[in-house]
Amino acid sequence: MDSAYLNASTLNATCPACGLLCDDVQLEIHQQKIQVRHPNCSKTKLFFEQAQIVTTPKISGKPASLQVAIYQAVQLLKAAKAPLFAGLSTDILGFRTLYNLAQKTNASMQHINAQSAQRNLRVLQSAGWQTTTLTEVKNRADLLVCFGTDIVTHNPRFFERFIWVKDALFCDADGREIIYIGENINTSAGISPAGKKPTVLACKTEDLPEVTAVLRALIQGKTLKCTQVAGMSIRALYDIAIKLKQAKYGVLAWVAKDLNFPHAELTIQNITESAVLLNQTTRAASLALGGSDGDTSINYAHTWLSGVTLNDTPIAHDCMVWVYSFSPDQLPRATQSPLIVFGQDDTAFERVPDVFIPIATPGLDCNGTLFRVDGSVTLPLKKCRDATHPTLSDILSQIEMQL
Amino acid sequence: MITHLKNGTIYDPAHQKNGVQENIYLFQGRIVPKPLDPSKITQTFDLTGKVVMAGAIDMHSHIGGGKINIARMMLPEFQETRGYSEPEAHICTPNCSHNATPSTTDTGFRYIEMGYTAAFEPAILPINARHAHLEMGDTPMIDKGGYAMLGNDDYFLRLLAQKADQKAINDYVAWTLHATQAIGIKVVNPGGISAFKFNQRRLDLDENNVHYQVSPREILQTLSRAVNELGIAKPLHVHCNNLGAAGNFQTTLDTMGASDGLPMHLTHIQFHSYGTEGDKKFSSAAAQIAEALNKNQHITADVGQILFGQTVTASGDTMMQHLNAKHANPKKSVIMDIECDAGCGVVPFKYRDQNYVNALQWAIGLELFLSVEDPWRIFLTTDHPNGAPFTSYPHLIRLLMDKTFRNEAFAKLNLDAQAMSNLTSLNREYSLYEIAIMTRAGAAKLIGLNDCGHLGIGAQADITVYTDQPDRETMFAKPDYVFKNGELVVKNGKVVKVVWGATHTAKPAFDTSVEKGLSEYFDKFHTIQLDNFKITDDEISDDGRGKIISNTTKST
Repeated sequence: MDSAYLNASTLNATCPACGLLCDDVQLEIHQQKIQVRHPNCSKTKLFFEQAQIVTTPKISGKPASLQVAIYQAVQLLKAAKAPLFAGLSTDILGFRTLYNLAQKTNASMQHINAQSAQRNLRVLQSAGWQTTTLTEVKNRADLLVCFGTDIVTHNPRFFERFIWVKDALFCDADGREIIYIGENINTSAGISPAGKKPTVLACKTEDLPEVTAVLRALIQGKTLKCTQVAGMSIRALYDIAIKLKQAKYGVLAWVAKDLNFPHAELTIQNITESAVLLNQTTRAASLALGGSDGDTSINYAHTWLSGVTLNDTPIAHDCMVWVYSFSPDQLPRATQSPLIVFGQDDTAFERVPDVFIPIATPGLDCNGTLFRVDGSVTLPLKKCRDATHPTLSDILSQIEMQL
Repeated sequence: MITHLKNGTIYDPAHQKNGVQENIYLFQGRIVPKPLDPSKITQTFDLTGKVVMAGAIDMHSHIGGGKINIARMMLPEFQETRGYSEPEAHICTPNCSHNATPSTTDTGFRYIEMGYTAAFEPAILPINARHAHLEMGDTPMIDKGGYAMLGNDDYFLRLLAQKADQKAINDYVAWTLHATQAIGIKVVNPGGISAFKFNQRRLDLDENNVHYQVSPREILQTLSRAVNELGIAKPLHVHCNNLGAAGNFQTTLDTMGASDGLPMHLTHIQFHSYGTEGDKKFSSAAAQIAEALNKNQHITADVGQILFGQTVTASGDTMMQHLNAKHANPKKSVIMDIECDAGCGVVPFKYRDQNYVNALQWAIGLELFLSVEDPWRIFLTTDHPNGAPFTSYPHLIRLLMDKTFRNEAFAKLNLDAQAMSNLTSLNREYSLYEIAIMTRAGAAKLIGLNDCGHLGIGAQADITVYTDQPDRETMFAKPDYVFKNGELVVKNGKVVKVVWGATHTAKPAFDTSVEKGLSEYFDKFHTIQLDNFKITDDEISDDGRGKIISNTTKST
């Protein structure tokens, strides 16, 4: 055995890089350097193998001690009448302290994924839905329809972990049928291990409202006079409607971020109401996928703490607090107001923040808790390396005490 | 250092004290004997003429976890009702709050302001337990706890289908209690939530789940036996099959029969006491249910009273909630299959006093309260928020204690419903002592909370002080004082100090080799690791706000 092996330690971890929260990650840690042994997932590698950034708190770009930076942040928050806490890329534990501080400073809150999250929330608040979760999909789904998404761009291991599995309790996993509807979709993940190819119905993203409306009407048993919709034959959609009706447990999936057009909520509602119609005679469920930067978690926690969901309306503010724990590439939204940033690295900023305080990343530098994208499962995140920066909660508690 | 509660009129059914004038001394969060050295008393409250009870305990209220949070997300319009001071329906009074989906902070505050010092979430899906504890951890003022749902989960149903021995079942049940940090076991529509996933739309007590070929009766008997053999104090918490369906009283009676003489708790029994008589084929079977409860001393029940106004129903019973979704008001609902574990259904509801069925539901609940003789075996609940928000308890207490008030309310109901109820012939009025039993002593005894629900030496110093007044609604809505763990936290119905309660659990011993089978199962079929399924004590108590109380189990 070589010495490198002797010095290495291994750790099981949970990956917060996408909404799936894969908790079967195996890390090899050698002298604080982390390597992902399993799985072979680009997002997981990017998250766990990111270099540890050594930096200091800064005031207007100049290094400052933590105490002075905190003092400066307190002064800006005291002077503000309506601060906005934005980004909100953190976990439940971080958000709890952030919420308390928002209450004390009369701040509004908005998550970086507010727009895509709203597309789903508007459907929930208008009509509700019938949904399912990933273990049900893994063991039960005999048909999967992906609307306007390949899923894997957002959730790279979706097919590996939940579709092409060795053992499923209630269906033949290899025999599952996969259907994609949309444009420029990477459909290779939908090929079964035995080589069975998925059905692909090509249509432009902007035509999805029409296509999903037609599919919904066909499931409802309506007769349509036209023979084509968005360049697609009605017959092809009719075949999908029949397959969904014959399936024992059809799953209708989408990723809100991929439905980036005005009133996408109406398209999502076509999908969810199709599932509701199918449930009159067979079983089916809708499934919203994607998820990042703790968006599901932050929305859930905000809802139980305040009684209401977060929204996406533009918020007037006189001071912005930008929080990003997970994605260093997510830059603060443009603002004319004083800017306080809690994050990992400040090197890519277009505008120098008035105060920058580096924080630990949950799941890497400290423990944490996140919700999976399907909403029912909550998983602990583990500290994987010695932290060089304090946690968001630590910093916020100090700020709160000085306010 | 010692607080003296002087000359209060004590209602402490656990010690058979029915309105006796006594002194109580509090020290370090507990009730202590009279100090030998009176100079140690640093604070005295003169409670002459005041009614003193232990803090109330809500043994069934959906205060934490996925269902209620989905309801909050789906129904932003409910938050408008927070500011309502006018009654929404003419039968209600200003004390009836119609905020069915309070935030966690509001939940804790509204409970403690009514003198409640503990509430139990009755339907924790094991896979969702971490979420439930996160929410309860953000609920201030009161103690919390929950019942873990089993009986629709694939692992249990497979054990049953394979005719696994009772010991294997017992180990799995105990393991689940530990993993979910719960204090009891609940079963919702036994086998039915699972059956719905296989497209079965109804399931009777002796009908088989199509996939596993096991019946609700077998599920109930096996789980009930496990709970009993493990020495878990809280009897199996049963939400019967056929919730809300006309004629379901027979299922409820048969479920009592399936208990085989073992303790069993039937929850929100109002929703399970419906007959099929009359022109509308919907009638009260409260008399039959009450008669059976009176006869079967091993059965307990809570009522799940409905009160009129807007609320939302949140249940694990996807099979029946899917049927109910057509009555949703406002017209939206969520039905969810969850993790081969269970499911949830959230359907908003508006109970109207001029609607025949709703009016009769109201009457059926009260008929049950008044016809069940033993207050130790019937509990005051609205199945919050399913029958009504918990904030309407003072109103409900007045309905039980004040026959004139009750009959005046009844006279305003849908006339056809009035014709189908014998409510006005029931003359019973609950006494303060009986209210103290059903909301304190009885609830603590049922759940197995050794130190709560009574005012004996050594008890947790959770105490509520009321002004005795004829309007029982006003009295119970606004206590003079509430003490939580010996600290004054509410004065004149308003919170004066924010505190954080504990989480009550039960942790019976079990054979840890149960994890071998579970581990294989998780690796093959689940989507998380077994270790991550289990909630550690630290997750609840780490931030210094929470604390776990492990209540002793019965000796076996």
